[in-house]
Amino acid sequence: MEHDFIKRAVPRPKCNYYEDFEPGRVFEHHWGRTLNEGDNSLYTTLTMFFNPLYFNAEFAKAHGHAGVLINPYLVFTTVFGLSVQDLSESGGAFLGVEDLEFGVPVYPGDTLTARSTVVDRRESSTHANMGIATWHTQGFNQRGEKVVDFKRTNMIAKKGARP
Amino acid sequence: MKVSAYTGKDNYFEDFVPGIVMRHARGKTVEAIENVILTNLVMNTAEGHFNEEAMRDTPFKHRITFGGITASLVIGLASQDTGENALAELGLNKIRFKAPVLHGDTLHAYTEVVSVKDADRADAGIVLFRHWGVNQHNKIVFEGERTVLVKRRSHWGDK
Repeated sequence: MEHDFIKRAVPRPKCNYYEDFEPGRVFEHHWGRTLNEGDNSLYTTLTMFFNPLYFNAEFAKAHGHAGVLINPYLVFTTVFGLSVQDLSESGGAFLGVEDLEFGVPVYPGDTLTARSTVVDRRESSTHANMGIATWHTQGFNQRGEKVVDFKRTNMIAKKGARP
Repeated sequence: MKVSAYTGKDNYFEDFVPGIVMRHARGKTVEAIENVILTNLVMNTAEGHFNEEAMRDTPFKHRITFGGITASLVIGLASQDTGENALAELGLNKIRFKAPVLHGDTLHAYTEVVSVKDADRADAGIVLFRHWGVNQHNKIVFEGERTVLVKRRSHWGDK
């Protein structure tokens, strides 16, 4: 069924391609994300991360914290998530992560932002329409303190490889 | 609060001897509850994780699980044995995704203690673990190293 609005619609694509990843290029990623207690409880319980620091406020206080900490793997995946539109949304397998370091603890109410730098890129030997890119991604809290730092490698589509 | 009453007694720093390999209790079947909810929660915008139609004509045929969620689930399955008495998660390295995880796949986690060393505080030490996540066919879907600051029983255990 061909509706008139579908015929008139202009695509609004949301991604970059292999050609866009000039080594050294810096991306200040969109949105930012304030992580709250609900985010943390959902993430920690669904992944069954069983350290009470992340779900028992009294236990966390007994370790010198003001309350529960945000699960570090939620910190990692949130910073990663904020980077996806700029880096990997065009598609291609997520191959790996190197040298991930967690920084200062994150607490409910903290706001994370993300920035990435292109480290390297190369052609794929097996897929002519794909390349492989490596980015250095850093996550920060609202005071500019680093919360996570890692290098990620992905397969990346070249321009024209997808409709 | 007596904190040692809330966590296990066999997973302090002193218990981690290099060479030990553990098969962790419990597997978890990955479904949209894990992949789609958590992928959307962390605002990963790659629709291959949440748009079934977009994946139909790809080699995968279906939505594939975001690797960050696969990693978190495998580490989660390993967490009670390797992180319940941790003071902090320090880092990850050599993370590899060896095969896609589809909705309906069931993951189990295995861990080897690679090495241990003193920390810059007397009450804890640093443990380097190697984790593997396998699916229901024992195919490796995830592997990688994780470094954790773990409490010493001598300081934190039952007195």
